[in-house]
Amino acid sequence: MSKLQAIRTALFLAAVVTGLSLAASFETSARAARQADTQAQPGAASKDPGAEAYAHHCAICHGDRRQGNLPGFPPLVGISHRMNSEKIAALIHSGRGRMPAFPGVKDDELTALLRFLDTAEPAEDAAAGSVAHTTLSEAGRALFEQNCAFCHGRDAQGGETGPDLTQSKLVRRDRTGDAIATVIREGRPDGKMPPFNFSAQQIRSIIAFIHEREAEAIARPGGRRGVSVADLQTGNAAAGKRYFDGAGGCAKCHSATGDLAGVASRYEGLELEERMLYPRGVTSQVTITLPSGKSISGALAYRDEFTVALRDADGVYRSWSTSRVHYTVHAPVEAHVDLFSKYTDDDIHNLMAYLQTLR
Amino acid sequence: MKLPNARLFLSLAALAACLSVMPALAAQDLESAQLLHPAPDSWPTYNGDYSGRRHVRFTQITPQNVGDLSLAWAFQTDQTAQIKSSPLLVDGVLYFTVPDNIWAVDARSGHLIWHYNRPSTRGDHIGHRGVAMYKGWLYFTTPDCHLISLNAKDGAVRWDKLIADVSRGYWTTMAPLVVKDHVIVGVSGDLDNLPGYLRSFDPESGAVQWQWDATPPAGTPNATTGGMTWITGTYDPELNLIYWGTGNPTPVLNGKTRPGADLYTCSIVALDPDTGKLAWGFSVSPHDTHDWDAVETPVLVDGDFHGQPRKMLMQASRNGYFFVLDRTNGHSLLSLPYGPVNWSLGVDKEGHPIPNPEKEPAPDGRLIAPDEGGLTNYRSPSFDPATGLFIVDAHPSFSIYFAKPADGAYGWAGADYGVWGKGVIEAIDYQTGKIRWSHEVGEGGSGAGVMTTASGLTITGDAHGNVLALETGNGKTLWHAGTGSSMQSSPISYELDGRQYIVTSSGGVLFAWALPEDRIHLGQPLEASH
Repeated sequence: MSKLQAIRTALFLAAVVTGLSLAASFETSARAARQADTQAQPGAASKDPGAEAYAHHCAICHGDRRQGNLPGFPPLVGISHRMNSEKIAALIHSGRGRMPAFPGVKDDELTALLRFLDTAEPAEDAAAGSVAHTTLSEAGRALFEQNCAFCHGRDAQGGETGPDLTQSKLVRRDRTGDAIATVIREGRPDGKMPPFNFSAQQIRSIIAFIHEREAEAIARPGGRRGVSVADLQTGNAAAGKRYFDGAGGCAKCHSATGDLAGVASRYEGLELEERMLYPRGVTSQVTITLPSGKSISGALAYRDEFTVALRDADGVYRSWSTSRVHYTVHAPVEAHVDLFSKYTDDDIHNLMAYLQTLR
Repeated sequence: MKLPNARLFLSLAALAACLSVMPALAAQDLESAQLLHPAPDSWPTYNGDYSGRRHVRFTQITPQNVGDLSLAWAFQTDQTAQIKSSPLLVDGVLYFTVPDNIWAVDARSGHLIWHYNRPSTRGDHIGHRGVAMYKGWLYFTTPDCHLISLNAKDGAVRWDKLIADVSRGYWTTMAPLVVKDHVIVGVSGDLDNLPGYLRSFDPESGAVQWQWDATPPAGTPNATTGGMTWITGTYDPELNLIYWGTGNPTPVLNGKTRPGADLYTCSIVALDPDTGKLAWGFSVSPHDTHDWDAVETPVLVDGDFHGQPRKMLMQASRNGYFFVLDRTNGHSLLSLPYGPVNWSLGVDKEGHPIPNPEKEPAPDGRLIAPDEGGLTNYRSPSFDPATGLFIVDAHPSFSIYFAKPADGAYGWAGADYGVWGKGVIEAIDYQTGKIRWSHEVGEGGSGAGVMTTASGLTITGDAHGNVLALETGNGKTLWHAGTGSSMQSSPISYELDGRQYIVTSSGGVLFAWALPEDRIHLGQPLEASH
């Protein structure tokens, strides 16, 4: 069962918990009367027809104490705060998704079941399960779902244009929350992630949610969505070396004993493969020819159709209008782009196998 | 009954006659006639008109004078969500949106008239495409799947109807399409296995008139879900057909539980707007496993195709193919890539790309062109009739796609990572699929939506925040302005008080561009004659 379903049903729980805390101050006399009713009947505790109906039809999925069975089956504790009797009855009769329909539950049995679902929740360890849910991370879940899930996935395991946050070095190392908060507030310089204007408390809740997803992913390694190091071991290292030295042209710029010595100790898995295919953030060189004929070279700092800029040998930023100068860019990294249309998938896997020997 | 005083009667009749020829478009009159033939001082629907060509007849701003284009005004929303909507312009007021918000702004001065904010805590806030208008009422979709009808005068809410159930995984972002007495709304949501659909609402009461489902119900064996109807479609009033693109199937990257073409996901469909009945459907990406929605604007063009007059539909689709169809019957006229594509074995005799099974997501990854964002995305293309060019913001790109059994068969069911991409504005000759010119707009980025004018200008933007005016014939830059953030919307244009405005957005700011007032009274005709 995928994490996505887990998050959806856990979102249910979040809503339930929210409903619970709201309802705590809105106890109605009718509800109190119903409880008194149930308790007053002799033998009701053991022969409550509602409890029997629940045990017969519902407990197998929703748990004998209504605690649910995440990820697939939501808890029903406090369900009457979320849905009125009509809606619950309709759901029992129609089913929904994995929940089958129970059209045969009607009349007295249905009334008793609805009454049972409305009764006081059993005292329960709210932190049942391997990971404790705090209200802070639940608030973070709601924000994450609205603003982050589109790219990072509902479970923060990424893969929908955004990286897997549960395997992120930045997330793993961030003890104080400052590093994550900075990325959230400022976005990423390449513009792929926009900045977000959240309050400090909102950011704390999102960080709590992310760390919880990280903990959960570590606790269930087999269930981790996304790419693990073990997934990327299908190539042949010898064939990779031949490609590196030959058809791939990598040896023209790279050396296994030079710049790439120990590369597999610095990067592993998906990150290594992504950098192999196209290393981001590489600085190119540019040479500007001024109207005077003088040339100046440096690290390319900015370029669009109208402006070109470099950092000179002293690290000073200088820019020019492209209408006033000539310039040439030296960007050997673009050879990676040329390979995209030439690689077979086997070439890529073989290259990965080879690079992973360079420790 | 006594006859009214004859002189008074005649005066009143004369006054009524004068009022009826007043050129200004009153919001309360925004009816089918105005939507069918938009007046110059209006942009009454998301695409400007029903054809989706985003081509304006104005000739006041020309390649010769665009160098003098300057800022008339800017409107700042003072919030961080990027504007991705096309504003409406009706009766001198601009209406535009970000999720949860509508602004009504004076189109002459850029000042705020009213602002509506409905905070929602559920549903994806990824973006918002704008409002629809009919007879003085606005129609607004919310992330948590409500359709709200508001009074255009002041943003007061008239009614609030449900489009979908956000707790199941739906959300809504699109600008509805008003066709006669139908407000047609689509849904989004591909993180869950949900069927996509179009729903038509009565504009007065909000009652549901019909619903068209893109796929069989969830849980149907060996069938797909998905087919979300993300973006506003187009309409042919003579054929009485609406044209809509549908999104990718779910589960997204794992196609094993949904063998076959997965109709009608990743398709262009033609529906009867009065009943929602399907007239025809064309599968743009049969059995897609790369999230390539086919929801890009289905542009309607009447013209010659290889010597024969045709009613055509053109789409530059996310999967990397440019399609020309006969819109009367959905038959393919042309299907060709408009950028790097490596996932297909070619095109079959009906014009459908044939997916290569070797390029489906795999446990150890597959290199795929384009990336998941696609060779183009939601930003609008434009068709220029004078040159026969279909101009689109393209994103040549490469990515790696993964799927393994542990990823399951629900929702995304895998992972994909973009490796490299860039932005290019491409001008495609619709008769041959050849790219006549291309204009680079930035590494790593995508360009912006495109609008063309009858005077031969192409208005768009680059990845660095520059608004660009290009010469439609050859793509050369004639004017630019740095706005500080890249355009994530599509430009519009209208005439007000004899002055042509081009309105763009970037970040949270709306910009109105026009020639300086003293440049306008030089005998330039405002509009090209038809």
